[in-house]
Amino acid sequence: MNLSSRLRNIPFWSWLWFILGALYFILPLYATLDFSLRMERDIIGFKAYLSAFEDPDFLKTFGYSVSIAIVTILVSIILTIPTAYWVRLRLPEARRIVEFITLMPFVVPAIILVFGLIRIYSSPITIPFTDIVLIPPLTTFKFGTSILVVAGYMVLGLPYMYRSVDTGMRTVDVRTLTEAAQSLGANWYTIISQVILPNLRSALLSGALLTFAIVIGEVVLASFLGVPAFGPYLFLLGQHRAFEPAALTFTTFLMTWAAMGIIQLVTGGQGQATGAH
Amino acid sequence: MAYLTLSNISKAFGGGLHEPVLAVKDFDMEIKKGELVSFLGPSGCGKTTTLRMVAGFEMPTTGVILIEGEDITSKLPNQRNVGMVFQSYALFPNMTVGDNIGFGLKIAKKPSEEVKQRVKEMLDLIHMAEYGNRYPYQLSGGQQQRVALARALALKPDVLLLDEPLSALDAKIRVSLRSEIRAIQKQLGITAIYVTHDQEEAMSISDRIVVMHEGKIEQIGTPFEIYNFPTTVFVANFVGTLNTANGEVADPATGLLSVDGVQFESATVLKDRKKGEKVRVAIRPERFNFVSQEKKANVLDCKIENINFLGSIVRIQVLIGNTKFYMDTFNNPFLELPKIGAVEQVTCSREAVLVLDE
Repeated sequence: MNLSSRLRNIPFWSWLWFILGALYFILPLYATLDFSLRMERDIIGFKAYLSAFEDPDFLKTFGYSVSIAIVTILVSIILTIPTAYWVRLRLPEARRIVEFITLMPFVVPAIILVFGLIRIYSSPITIPFTDIVLIPPLTTFKFGTSILVVAGYMVLGLPYMYRSVDTGMRTVDVRTLTEAAQSLGANWYTIISQVILPNLRSALLSGALLTFAIVIGEVVLASFLGVPAFGPYLFLLGQHRAFEPAALTFTTFLMTWAAMGIIQLVTGGQGQATGAH
Repeated sequence: MAYLTLSNISKAFGGGLHEPVLAVKDFDMEIKKGELVSFLGPSGCGKTTTLRMVAGFEMPTTGVILIEGEDITSKLPNQRNVGMVFQSYALFPNMTVGDNIGFGLKIAKKPSEEVKQRVKEMLDLIHMAEYGNRYPYQLSGGQQQRVALARALALKPDVLLLDEPLSALDAKIRVSLRSEIRAIQKQLGITAIYVTHDQEEAMSISDRIVVMHEGKIEQIGTPFEIYNFPTTVFVANFVGTLNTANGEVADPATGLLSVDGVQFESATVLKDRKKGEKVRVAIRPERFNFVSQEKKANVLDCKIENINFLGSIVRIQVLIGNTKFYMDTFNNPFLELPKIGAVEQVTCSREAVLVLDE
């Protein structure tokens, strides 16, 4: 059956709901694009985009958010992979507890998280019953605040990163692969670097891109911790200007689509990884 | 001289708040070099746990494992030269067939020329010379398992362990691949342990079979011994189809048994048993025949209860006294079968009547 005859066989109501759904998503996006292109009267152009990109604050905040996102992704990977791996391999009974913990960010709002972070880390942490400072007040200097931002984003991105990694591990049956590698003489480093990580690349990419999207658009944590992030910048821009926020919003959409495209491209063969039976 | 020794191995799981579960109890056996031994038993009998202890994935609670006299009990899996083939193939999806086979050799830091040569040898051995550059997902299940076998053999392991390697394959491939595994094992003269719950597979492939039940060895023997001379009710029931009936010793001197008043002569030595002692009488269905002119030891009146066609054999249910027995006969287009309800006479040799402990 060719494509046109297959399309003809789809019922009318399916088409109707599909078109309504598509319009619901596409129309606002089209309106944003259209609006962002009309900065100059009666001219369709990219002036709003140029204006937005030329703003030094844009580059500064976007650069900051990107670097924070990269650090968050790296630290999350370092934390998540060994945890998920060990739980799958040696501590399956701890799986429910770990899953519960990873779901907590869905339940606890970011505002609670940021107040918790500020409350604990705005004063020095000392060794109990002494005056010896273990951790200086992190909110009082730039680097310390960035550490808190990364920690907060790690928590917010945990459900996505952990679930991506855990699902990836289930798909490739890491336990048996580990045992197979061990029986062939491999040590832990070789197993992780040559067997586990290469087979988790699509899962890691999914988790990383979702974390990236969260970090780039996050407002609450960044605003309260007073860091020059892209989320608060976009929010402030929206209050003072009309066309630039629309241009940046549309750009962000394009970036998200590009990210999804990369996931599709990389994970295209994932289903085959488990083998043809 | 034993090549692989499993001495008094036990394995307990759990503990803490829960009672520890003994998965393997007092497993004791010696395997000769070049021998293929199957661990046969139902799920949960401890066969895979025992295999995993040899591989090093589980640590025995008690006992020692020796290869050529060297104690490997506390060695890590990657320090034992033991190859393993898994039920789920466990090929590395990110590597080609050639890379999978050469993985262990590269870990052992063999020169790249040697790795290439050995991979080629292994591909030839499994008749997949042209598949070296393919990925596992491009192969069928049978091909993947052959690659897994080649990968395990590439390192020339001291012992090859196969954990239900054919369970995920369809029936036809299973039969052809098990012959291939046996041929390769014989060709290389490698010592192998084969775990399976499929009695036919164990019978066809093994030098010896270890039948396991609830963590313990029930019987060790050649396939011929296990099938024809089971020593326990479990082995007799698990391996092949078996008629069993409650009986008692009627005359220990002549091997006479009584089942519901019907007397059976057995070749089993009963001198150590007392008259009237309760025993299990067991007879394989194929050992029954309809009475011909030739006089046999046990000539028994029976009533035909039911007849089932099972492809190559016909299974007839007969009533001897008040006890139901099955008898098997080969199917052929000219077979003259009795009618259901007819009264006939069946016979079996004295050797066919087994006496098992309760």
